[in-house]
Amino acid sequence: MIPALTVYHLLLLVPAPALAAFMVLGLAPVFLHRRLVMLIALAGGTAPLLAMTGMMGLCLTGQCRGVAPIFTLQVGTAIVDLALLLDPLSMITGMTVTLIGACVLIYSIDYMAGAKTADLRRFFALMNLFLAAMLAMVLAGDSIVYFLGWEMMGLCSFFLIAYNVFSDPAVAAGRKAFIMSRIADALLLGGLLLLFIAAGSVRIDALIAAGLALPEGQRTVIALLLLGGALGKSAQLPFHTWLPSAMAGPTPVSALLHSATMVAAGAYLMARFAPLLAASPDVMLVMAVGGALTAAFGSMTAIFQSDVKRLLAFSSISQIGFMLLALGVGAPAAAMAHFVTHALFKSLLFLAAGDIAHSAGDDTSIAAMKGAASRRPLAFAAFTIGAASLSGLPLVTAGWWSKEEVLDAVLGSGGAGRALWVLALLTAVMTAIYAFRPVLIALKPGPVDAHPHTPGLATRIPLVLLGFGSLTGGLLVGPVIRLLGGVHPEMPAYSVVVAALAPLTGLAISWQLSRSPQLADWLAARRLLRQGLQIDVLYQAWFVQPFQRLVDRLSGVHGTTPDPFGAAPVTMMLWLKRQLIDRFRSDGFDSGWMALAGTATPLWAVARRSQSGRARDAVMALAGGTAGLLLLGWMTA
Amino acid sequence: MSLIALILLPLLGGVAALFAARLGNNAERWLSVGVLGIGLVVLVAACLGGSPDPRWLAFSRTPWAPSLGVQLLFAVDGLSAAMLALSLGLGMVAVFTSWQTNENSGLFHAALLWTVAASNGVFMSFDLLVLAFFWELMVVPSFLLIALWGHGAREASAMKFLIFNAVAGLGLLGAVFWLGASAPIVTFDAFELAKLARPAGVQTWLLAGFALAFVVKLSVPPFHAWLPDAHTDAPTAGSILLAGLLLKTGAYGLFRFPAMLFPEGYLALAPVGLVLGSVGALYGAVMACGQTDAKRLVAYTSVAHMSIVLMGVSGGVHFALMGAAVEMVGHAFSASLLFFLIGAVYDRVGTRDLRDLGGLQRTAPRFAAVFALGFSAVLAMPGTANFLGEALVITGMFQVNWIYAAIVLTALVVSVVYATRLLKEVVFGEPGPKPVTQDLGSRELSIAVVLGSATLLFGLLPQLLMTPFTPAVDAVLASLEAVRR
Repeated sequence: MIPALTVYHLLLLVPAPALAAFMVLGLAPVFLHRRLVMLIALAGGTAPLLAMTGMMGLCLTGQCRGVAPIFTLQVGTAIVDLALLLDPLSMITGMTVTLIGACVLIYSIDYMAGAKTADLRRFFALMNLFLAAMLAMVLAGDSIVYFLGWEMMGLCSFFLIAYNVFSDPAVAAGRKAFIMSRIADALLLGGLLLLFIAAGSVRIDALIAAGLALPEGQRTVIALLLLGGALGKSAQLPFHTWLPSAMAGPTPVSALLHSATMVAAGAYLMARFAPLLAASPDVMLVMAVGGALTAAFGSMTAIFQSDVKRLLAFSSISQIGFMLLALGVGAPAAAMAHFVTHALFKSLLFLAAGDIAHSAGDDTSIAAMKGAASRRPLAFAAFTIGAASLSGLPLVTAGWWSKEEVLDAVLGSGGAGRALWVLALLTAVMTAIYAFRPVLIALKPGPVDAHPHTPGLATRIPLVLLGFGSLTGGLLVGPVIRLLGGVHPEMPAYSVVVAALAPLTGLAISWQLSRSPQLADWLAARRLLRQGLQIDVLYQAWFVQPFQRLVDRLSGVHGTTPDPFGAAPVTMMLWLKRQLIDRFRSDGFDSGWMALAGTATPLWAVARRSQSGRARDAVMALAGGTAGLLLLGWMTA
Repeated sequence: MSLIALILLPLLGGVAALFAARLGNNAERWLSVGVLGIGLVVLVAACLGGSPDPRWLAFSRTPWAPSLGVQLLFAVDGLSAAMLALSLGLGMVAVFTSWQTNENSGLFHAALLWTVAASNGVFMSFDLLVLAFFWELMVVPSFLLIALWGHGAREASAMKFLIFNAVAGLGLLGAVFWLGASAPIVTFDAFELAKLARPAGVQTWLLAGFALAFVVKLSVPPFHAWLPDAHTDAPTAGSILLAGLLLKTGAYGLFRFPAMLFPEGYLALAPVGLVLGSVGALYGAVMACGQTDAKRLVAYTSVAHMSIVLMGVSGGVHFALMGAAVEMVGHAFSASLLFFLIGAVYDRVGTRDLRDLGGLQRTAPRFAAVFALGFSAVLAMPGTANFLGEALVITGMFQVNWIYAAIVLTALVVSVVYATRLLKEVVFGEPGPKPVTQDLGSRELSIAVVLGSATLLFGLLPQLLMTPFTPAVDAVLASLEAVRR
């Protein structure tokens, strides 16, 4: 059943170009010239931005809440009604995703210039598919399209992390990411299906309404399942270990998927289901505490990293922790404001780091950044702006404005909020420490450019755009919060001052660190902290190895052992065969007949003697026989 | 009458193929394709032709041996029609995949068509004796396919297949005789037998006989031991028929007959089915993680998926039953696709050992792209029919008991482990000692595209399957409802 078209059906045009580009690049079995590949990828990557801008126009004219039904299907007593949804939340998230997507795809034209045409095509096909999937998830008005987009993102993430299919670590990182997020996805799927059973519909508003009507115990379980899904996708404790490994993918992938958009999807999920979660205070508390702990853990671990991309990965973990912290204290608007600014400055950081790493012969270590300021001034400037925004330097950076909203919301929530606020402030200090470490190292003199060339327009445009956004994006924070219906709590003046001092303190510490080589060495020697408390190692020992042992035990180290469980009926049948068939191999009746046949043997031995083969015996027998016959004839006559 | 043609066409077509092979010019292949194509047309015509009973799309009753109470009683509803279409369609795919098999090609195509004919008989017979006849008949031509055109230890595998299925078939045959003889007037008409009341204990025993045959064919642990061997050693066409048809006859039988004939027995044995399915879903998935033979790996994924079908069929609620039916179709396409692709690799390099394979991405990009599609289907990505089926089963399991739902969700997680492993060993990495140098040709590509797009089509447009399956699901629920009250 196709419903009547409304203006909101234009939402379909948002993911459509990216999907079309994927189909041409990924599925059409025809040769495409390199330039054509790039052109199609660009078209698919930028057209969603235009379409989304149109929808934003619709939104700003006051029609910011609308549903575009796609189709309806009766399943038993339930109704499956797919729809796209435009509301302030999906509009803001969609705008952010399309903007970052367009910037990263433009940047990729330059960045991926060295790849072979076939690899280039695969890369852009997957990037476009990812964009389509993410937009489908953002604009979904029902749990089916939502989960479709959610899972497709995971699939694209796997293929893009393992983009370099010849590198074992990259493939292993891709599998790790896929398996870990699948665990979380299974939790999310369970939660969504439970809501579906309760609601008899798949529309998200119906799911929330039905969830709110459930008894408290069930509601808590469902909220926990949804939270589990968010934690996995967003690489939060205890699911965070896949994200640092995922940095094995190309830098544009890290910029788009593994920092700005996909990883933050957990925050979007929580914001989408915020009314349902708000009804479970215990789950909210878990989310807030978990977010704050993850934020602190991520930023602390980031300080000890020696690789820029890993540093940024832990930074993403930490910043998304801030978002979940805000969501946990019931401030989804502040969380989404931070989502927007984080997307801007984090993708900027990755793109700038990628360009700098290019100039150092694709070395992503922090040490290799030495001399970046003179080698790649634009990228260095962009990185510095990104770092400033990430640390939240007061007033001039976008990051400050959104983080301020988060901190105020946490402090304003009272109760445990005060403790969490202190922890968040400490995190802000640590954020500035790690954010400026690479910047300060890049200022030192270093080697000359490995690939001396002026970055092309495709590199410069995104860096300038995102850099501009990272500075002025603070202007967006107010409108975003208003659109999402958030309120700004009245804060005592001390809190603003303290919050502004935190990043400055961090900057000062970072400055001290960069001037003292002993301190830097001390940092580098803290292995346990650098490896994120070795949680990865623990998981290896607790989960991966036991599973491997189970598999080996069941199927043999190389699949050699025959299937033990399957062997059971075979063994039983063999036993039956022994009992029923082998036992009667010497059949009683048969032996009777055989015994009868055996009596022939002595008779035969006697008879054989007559066959001597001698003419004398034959003649004698002949004569005897003839005589006998004559005698018989005479006697009977 | 046209329903009988669905059996006679491939049966006689098989005989004709024996002789057509002497003509050369691929006559037997085109003959087989033609026969199966006509079968599809006949099926569509029969379903559109209407029937006196609104419950069935097509219905035909022909007396055969009235004194024994045996008749040719065929009925087709949405579920049967889907299974018949699957059988005819995958039969065609099997012909196209083995276009290069030259040895004794006449008998090969005859065996293939006979397998289709017998499974068609299973998918629409409602005279139980005829059902049991086709049930046993099905095993013979597939046995030949494995024993004569297989690889490796093909004779042993074929024997194992034969013994498991023939012995289990005795359960069905015995129960059918018992049923027929217990009726006041000897009959094997399932509709008549369903009306007779039986004590619950008797029902349970009779159902156990039926279920033995069905569960062994479905290859649910611990009755699955024949499947990995048979799949590994069967030719590609044989694997496609095994996964696409033979396993589905087991699922179809469990779907159709237990609730219809023995509703109280069904309720008594449903927990057994749920537990067997749970164990099998996890066991199959974990075993798949440890295999080094690519085909064996896929065979164990079949075990896991069929166990999920068993859970759905045993669930006795709308979502679970619907999910099982959808999963039957989804798995038929996804498993066929993977068996076909691995067969194509084997044809090129002569090994299926994961340790020797690799690097398709570099040497055969089209191959790699299609493999990625099969990969997505086997791990039940949303958008594939497999996901639709599994999500529905999980929903149903939540209504039965959340533990079963959690088990299917766990199996979904493990599916990523084995699927990514398969992809890593076959597609990723550097090409192994025997690289695949030849990409998919146009014939192979079309097969893969047909199978792949079917998976997506039914996943993205669920009403294509769920609307026609509704009467069959409702019939099961109605039988159960009658005794639950």
